[in-house]
Amino acid sequence: MRTKFVISLSVCLALFIGTLHFTAQEAMGASKQVLIAAKVKSAPAGLDDAAWGKARGIDVPFEGKEVFAGQHTSVATKAVYTKDNIFFLYQWKDANQSITKGAWQYKDENWIHQKGNEDRISMLFEINRINNFATKGCAIVCHVPDGATNAKDGKFGTLTTAEKGDLWHWKAARSDPAGYADDTWLTKISEKKGGRKGDKGSGGDKKNITEDKSKPKYMLAQGKSLVKNGILLASHAVEITDYSVFKDGDTITYRMPKIPTGSFADIKADSRYVNGEWTVMLSRKLDTGNPDDTAFNPKRKYNFAMALFDNSGDEDSYDSEVITLKFK
Amino acid sequence: MNNIPMKTRSLKLLEFLSLEKSADRLLALEVPKDALSWTRFCGALLLVLVVLLFLSGIFMAFYYSPIPGTAYDSVDFALFNVPFGSVVKGVHHYSWNLLLMVMGVHLGRSLILGSYKAPRQMVWVTGVIILLFVPLFIITGDLLPWDQKGYWSTQVRLSIISSVPGMGHIAARLLQGGSLTGVVALTRFYVLHILMLPGLLVLLIAVHFHFIRHRGLSEPLGADPVSRPRIPFYPNVVNRWLFLFIMVSIILGVISWHWIPPFGDPADPTDSSYIPKPEWWVLFLNQLVSVFKGGLAVLGSTIIPAGLAGLLICLPFIDRSPHRHPARRWKILLPAAAIVIAILTLSIMGYMEHFVLVEN
Repeated sequence: MRTKFVISLSVCLALFIGTLHFTAQEAMGASKQVLIAAKVKSAPAGLDDAAWGKARGIDVPFEGKEVFAGQHTSVATKAVYTKDNIFFLYQWKDANQSITKGAWQYKDENWIHQKGNEDRISMLFEINRINNFATKGCAIVCHVPDGATNAKDGKFGTLTTAEKGDLWHWKAARSDPAGYADDTWLTKISEKKGGRKGDKGSGGDKKNITEDKSKPKYMLAQGKSLVKNGILLASHAVEITDYSVFKDGDTITYRMPKIPTGSFADIKADSRYVNGEWTVMLSRKLDTGNPDDTAFNPKRKYNFAMALFDNSGDEDSYDSEVITLKFK
Repeated sequence: MNNIPMKTRSLKLLEFLSLEKSADRLLALEVPKDALSWTRFCGALLLVLVVLLFLSGIFMAFYYSPIPGTAYDSVDFALFNVPFGSVVKGVHHYSWNLLLMVMGVHLGRSLILGSYKAPRQMVWVTGVIILLFVPLFIITGDLLPWDQKGYWSTQVRLSIISSVPGMGHIAARLLQGGSLTGVVALTRFYVLHILMLPGLLVLLIAVHFHFIRHRGLSEPLGADPVSRPRIPFYPNVVNRWLFLFIMVSIILGVISWHWIPPFGDPADPTDSSYIPKPEWWVLFLNQLVSVFKGGLAVLGSTIIPAGLAGLLICLPFIDRSPHRHPARRWKILLPAAAIVIAILTLSIMGYMEHFVLVEN
């Protein structure tokens, strides 16, 4: 009797295990990259935290668009998560650290904008399902046909209001010095406006320019100091009353980062540029509770796509294919 | 009122519902004692799984919207936003996989022990029809989540159905409701999956039980049919079945809690790069289609599968010998074993081709 029981139990177990083996795995037809976020007990304290060793990174290939057409680059990407937060780590080679973003320079009794833009990296997740984003990625939301009335302003957006994206946008000059990445979201492109919106709250940057656009309006307030990479924060600025204090070669930030508030301030950032390589860490609550953010549930998977901007504007970027984020 | 004994109240209720005679018949029903043996486990388990599939299916239908796009959203919502939604869907998912496996074991046992022999031919025939009928649930159910796997698997299946000579093209168009797999196809698959097929399955199971009831369970090999001990059906079998139901529900529930059922990306009909992987139970059929190409394709897609199904159904009428012992039925069991080995080999080949080699 015992033998029969053991046999029947073994048959049952074999059936169960067989069922699980064959059916629990998801058939991934197309060759999509999968980024697996590893669970860690405590949040990584920085870019070199041991927690990052627990994550299996992927090398995400990027393809250049517009002025970068035909060029390729890659970003080593990792993700970890704790009970409440998710963290992403990116590393990519960049011969030049670009953080100028049109900073003012005093030269020959004139203020001129320095040449140069900034380096950026962005990630787009779905808040609500964006039709075909899972297969086409940013191609679905990044392009409006040439000649459209909103072509300049609205190159980015969805086709319906039901489709919403969560855009994380790290900017080397305009958000990182404040310790954040811009938390924005994507909705339908209207006839007049683009689909990119800032999350509730405030943030972004403030232009440092006089009304006649000839010179900077603000300088560093007394008792305050410049932050990372010599950037002037909007909250540390004071109106210039005496322009005679400046001498040739002096520079002042043109796009002054604001300290974000509300849902705009959900994504915290840390970064480093050393030996021709950017290392950037972004972190956010898994679920911020804000309707303009993707609520991450570790039980499910998410699709996202990335874009890299190398000292360039929105039109000129390196784009990734769509990637799947899974939680381990 | 409270002083009336429970038994009297039950009788009054049965009388009120005019069910007293049915209850009497149930109480008087006796089954062979070996009905409780572990070798009869598969039949009871199959009924448990069917009931679980019905219950979990009803729950999922509360949240489902059969419109392309929103179908995916509704399943996603039920999976991740409804409390225990993933458990219910998991129970549904693992139940049908297990159902197919247990049906195979159940059929194999009947084949080896010669349970299909007279007077139980129709028990076998209805059982095989149920086995051939169940995949229709999977075929129609696969499309419902409107994910990549379901959509593209359906496309492959529809193209295979279309390749069947004669009615194939018409059957595929009838299912699809047009030239594209869209809202009409999804609605038709949904109606088939939750209405027509369950109704037919209940009918088939009822017919199967009808024959079991009247022809009886097959005797264990070597047992004397005259001195076969009998026990009351109620409560012995009923309680055992309820215990099995609870145990299987708990086990599948725990499994579903830990391993969320697979749910792919939303269907993108324009994404021709997606190559669906065949499920385990169609690996051998898929390989058959791959083996026979060109003018011989009809062999793999129609003639061989239909021939095998026909052989299975007709088995009691092919093997008319009175012997049930496997040793005296090698003329049947040897070819059957060869067919099983061929199916397993084709399945392994399919697994290697679609899962192992692709992954590497």
